[in-house]
Amino acid sequence: MNTALNLLHLLTPESILVETILVVLIAGLFKATAQKRNMLLSLTLIGGVTAGAMLIFQPHYGNIANGMAVLDPLTRFIKVVVLGLSLITAVYAVQSNIRQHFAEYLALILFTAIGMMLLAGTENLLMIFIALEMVSIPLYLLAGFLKQSSASAEASLKYFLVGGVSAAFLLFGISLIYGTTGATSLRDLAQSAPAVTRDPLFLAGLVMAIVGFGFKVAAVPFHLWAPDVYEGAPTSSAALIASGSKVAGFLILAKFLAIGLAGAAGSAASSQLQPGWLPLLAVIAAISIVVGNLAALSQSNVKRILAYSAIAQSGYMLLGLSATGGTALISVLFYVVVYALTALGAFGVVLHVEQRRGGSQLHHFEGLHQSAPGLALCMGVFMISLAGIPPLAGFFGKFYLFAGALGSASQGGNLGLLWVVAIAITFNAVSLYYYLIVLKHVFVTPATHPAEPVTRRNAATFVTGLLAVSVFAIGLYPGVLLDPLRAAAQAANRKPVTAAPVQPK
Amino acid sequence: MNTFLLLALVPLLPFLAAGITALLKREQRGLSATLVIGAQTVACAISLFLFAGAITAKSGAIVHNFPWLTFGNDTLRLGLLLDPLSAGMGAMVSFVTLLIFIYSVGYMKEDRNFTRFFTFLSLFSGAMLGVVYSNSLLLTFICWELVGLASYLLIGFWFHKPSAAAAAKKAFITTRVGDMGFLIGMFWLYKAAGTLLFYDNGAGCLEQAALATMAKTMVGGLAVSNIIALLIFCGAAGKSGQFPLHVWLPDAMEGPTPVSALIHAATMVAAGVYLVARVFPIFTATGAPSVSLTVVACIGAFTALFAALIAVAQTDIKRILAYSTVSQLGFMMLALGVGSVGAAMLHLIAHAFFKALLFMGAGSVIHGVHEEQDIRAMGGLWNKMPLTFATYAIGMLALAGFPLAFSGFWSKDAVLHAANLWPVSQLPFKMAAAAAFLTAFYMTRQMFYVFFGSYRGHTHPHESPVVMTLPLVILAAAAVLFSLVATPAWPWFEDFLAGHNAGFELAALREPGFLHVALTSTAIVFSGLLLGWFIYGRRPLSGVDPIEAASASAYNTLANRCYIDELYDATIIRLVALTGEISAWIDRTILQGAVNATAGFSFLISYLSDGIDRFLINFGFDHSCNALREYGSGIAGCEGGRVQGYLRVLGVGMVVLLAFLGWLLV
Repeated sequence: MNTALNLLHLLTPESILVETILVVLIAGLFKATAQKRNMLLSLTLIGGVTAGAMLIFQPHYGNIANGMAVLDPLTRFIKVVVLGLSLITAVYAVQSNIRQHFAEYLALILFTAIGMMLLAGTENLLMIFIALEMVSIPLYLLAGFLKQSSASAEASLKYFLVGGVSAAFLLFGISLIYGTTGATSLRDLAQSAPAVTRDPLFLAGLVMAIVGFGFKVAAVPFHLWAPDVYEGAPTSSAALIASGSKVAGFLILAKFLAIGLAGAAGSAASSQLQPGWLPLLAVIAAISIVVGNLAALSQSNVKRILAYSAIAQSGYMLLGLSATGGTALISVLFYVVVYALTALGAFGVVLHVEQRRGGSQLHHFEGLHQSAPGLALCMGVFMISLAGIPPLAGFFGKFYLFAGALGSASQGGNLGLLWVVAIAITFNAVSLYYYLIVLKHVFVTPATHPAEPVTRRNAATFVTGLLAVSVFAIGLYPGVLLDPLRAAAQAANRKPVTAAPVQPK
Repeated sequence: MNTFLLLALVPLLPFLAAGITALLKREQRGLSATLVIGAQTVACAISLFLFAGAITAKSGAIVHNFPWLTFGNDTLRLGLLLDPLSAGMGAMVSFVTLLIFIYSVGYMKEDRNFTRFFTFLSLFSGAMLGVVYSNSLLLTFICWELVGLASYLLIGFWFHKPSAAAAAKKAFITTRVGDMGFLIGMFWLYKAAGTLLFYDNGAGCLEQAALATMAKTMVGGLAVSNIIALLIFCGAAGKSGQFPLHVWLPDAMEGPTPVSALIHAATMVAAGVYLVARVFPIFTATGAPSVSLTVVACIGAFTALFAALIAVAQTDIKRILAYSTVSQLGFMMLALGVGSVGAAMLHLIAHAFFKALLFMGAGSVIHGVHEEQDIRAMGGLWNKMPLTFATYAIGMLALAGFPLAFSGFWSKDAVLHAANLWPVSQLPFKMAAAAAFLTAFYMTRQMFYVFFGSYRGHTHPHESPVVMTLPLVILAAAAVLFSLVATPAWPWFEDFLAGHNAGFELAALREPGFLHVALTSTAIVFSGLLLGWFIYGRRPLSGVDPIEAASASAYNTLANRCYIDELYDATIIRLVALTGEISAWIDRTILQGAVNATAGFSFLISYLSDGIDRFLINFGFDHSCNALREYGSGIAGCEGGRVQGYLRVLGVGMVVLLAFLGWLLV
């Protein structure tokens, strides 16, 4: 009884989102018009903002049923971020070419948001799996939402098949881990994992779990779905897959590894490799960086470029995860959040071009600086930030990440991860090529398309501009994002481990 | 209001006015003059207020230090200081400066660049007051250099005249020579004392602990304190025109006359004397007649006599005054050298009043006879410019040291008295006495040339406007009235500097030592005046100077300033030029050859590397770029779009990872 009440208390924001879904679905029963789409969006935003406010005013700490649902400042921070990203996606959706079943589309976005929030707020393997599925299944649907478009349907099917197999691997991996350690809660796992670090079954479970998560964050070689899905899915869906889903996926992977398996890390230092998740992660990171950056070079579709860029960026983030330790975790989260904002913004620009010019091939971007100078400028900010050039946020993300990776003491010496960092920096230079190719088409190549009317401002372009400004601002004052993140992480570390269910503020 | 704010305001107000007027347009003449004079009036009022406060205060010095720069764990602090010395000097400087500003309104009325002139004047005033109130040698040095800059700008104010531009350069470079010594001395002082603050609750560089350390440390047989003192004295000698760095001061008369009055008579040139007086404790760290003080005394006495001699044979009205200034600065240095700060400061302030008066009087004369400066082309001006004549005569008598009613008499007597009591040698006293005699003589000569006899020029002299004569009257009054506080009977000023109250004692006048000196100097002054009248006053003057007629060679030597400039030209400047020639030759032949060789070599390398670049690197780079792109296509091509393949890769990936871990395990 008490647990149920506490659970309700802890999950109030999620509950509000569920109610919002119901309201939106009911409102969606009426005939679809443009005004109604805006009304539905308003309902969604009201519900989302209310949930966000609830989130902020919740108690600081909570822990129900041995980690099934937890709350601490860091979790709350990530929950707010994924909720915000989902809402921005909803704003994008209004501008996209989704005309039918718009209410259902918004509802699916909210479902995804609930899944991501639950995923962020759990420390139990079972709950992790369930939440991950709660994220994945709406995303499959969102990817295939353009039912008339065969590309969309194909993307959805591919996403679903690969996702299903990955989920199977993840579940199998979790089973093996449970079988060898007897724990599903990450904190229990942390107690029992060190005893079995050299048990082959446990290691097999570890690999399988990482395959499952690797799919979620689109790391090589579990990445193959990503370009097809990014290209085929409606742009707003792809934006959510690229941003929110990635943030949630990385947070849970970080929790899984850093909390649950801290004792089974092994070592990825080139001089003293030890079995564990660190060498796995380092290898996956290196391959992702190489493959993602190289494959992006030959793409002609901006969405595919963004997909491969996302794969490479996942490599950077995995590299950050391989450097365990408090500051490294913060730098990964900083990087992930900055990346999510940037990618979301870039998809915003893509959305605009797609709506105006009917495609997202590179040549559709030609002369954008004339027809939509503001958006062209935004695209410049996003691409340069992704390439990691100062003074934009992406530079500081990479800087903290690499600095964290080089300084990580757990790697047997200060420069144990140098080999991965060296690869990362080399291929970061390669990545400049395809980021700048996009900008070349935006700024340099004259338009071959007939001139279109100058863009009217709408909510989506406004949000895109806002994202560009925030990327710029975080670049100038990294503390804007870093300080709250650091404060939250410190507060989360101070959390009493044997927490009573819900503690008032 | 607190004292620190007031102290800071005194230099800051003129600085602020300078900053604002610098932005004004050339046409906004009235506004710029109003701003500058207004700021100066307030600064003057504050400094007089502070002076009044210092008179009544019994607490001694007021020190305010504040942090300026922090680097590492060290904080560099600057500070402001109000003690009798700075209060008296500040009051005099701001007051005389204010009068000269007012005078400038009239003198510079016709000038196009009136606004610029006032900007520079105000900049100078701020910097000079900064020197006065500074409590840190570093702040002093900063303001000192700003003063030098302002002086440079003002001497070269009419930069379209080549002579003015050259004089500005000469002044700046000559004083820089002295400033090098100052700078080194400052570094050394920082090393020796660990601070450049003068007073800092016992930790300042002029306080007991630091002085004792410096007096104990010996370098090459000399106490460090003496070396530092001499190095700082280099800077002071440069600014105050002491031999052998005096050459710039007469040339500086190329500047507008108010500038000569302000900078090169009353204030800036006195800064050197003030500096020595300020850091006097370093000079006396090893006891009263120290090595450094002896050097100061000798240089001062020599300069006094030497400059007075040259002044006898000058014909430019301002140059005579310039050499007279050099000579009087020598008196002040002599007073410092024999250990009497009081006499030096007394003479400094008295001199500031009457020398500013004389310069402004000379300016009035020059203005009246239409920019003529040669005294041989003047004459008989006393009835054409009566007010100027009267005030000039007062200034002249004060400078000559005419007894009793003129401040110059008392202050010069104080210097002579102090020199007479110097235990080391009587020679400086005798030289100073000779200089005093010459002073009376050449001033008489000038008076006769300028004001008496018949007019020898070709224009129509006229009296100057009130805005110019009013400051003359005020300064003339000051030159007379200052004698009230300067007599030994009521040595108010000296006692104020020493920090105790003065008693009124007529008996001091009858003190045998003083009486002796006073009578001697009176005799000297009268004989100088008489000799002047005897040579120049009895007959109408012609183009040839009577002395020249008597002994052409001696006169020419003096008229040519003892050939010091020529000596410098022949030695130092030739040496510098020679070094320059040699450097140029080395540059042209050896270095340029090397450069050319390097260039040729570089060409060779660049041809080679161009070849390499073109055939190897570009080839390689292009190829690797293409290869990269091809790899990219290859990798991208891996995904044929068939989901079965995707899943296969996924499975294979897992197996590979498992194998990898297995390998690590084994």
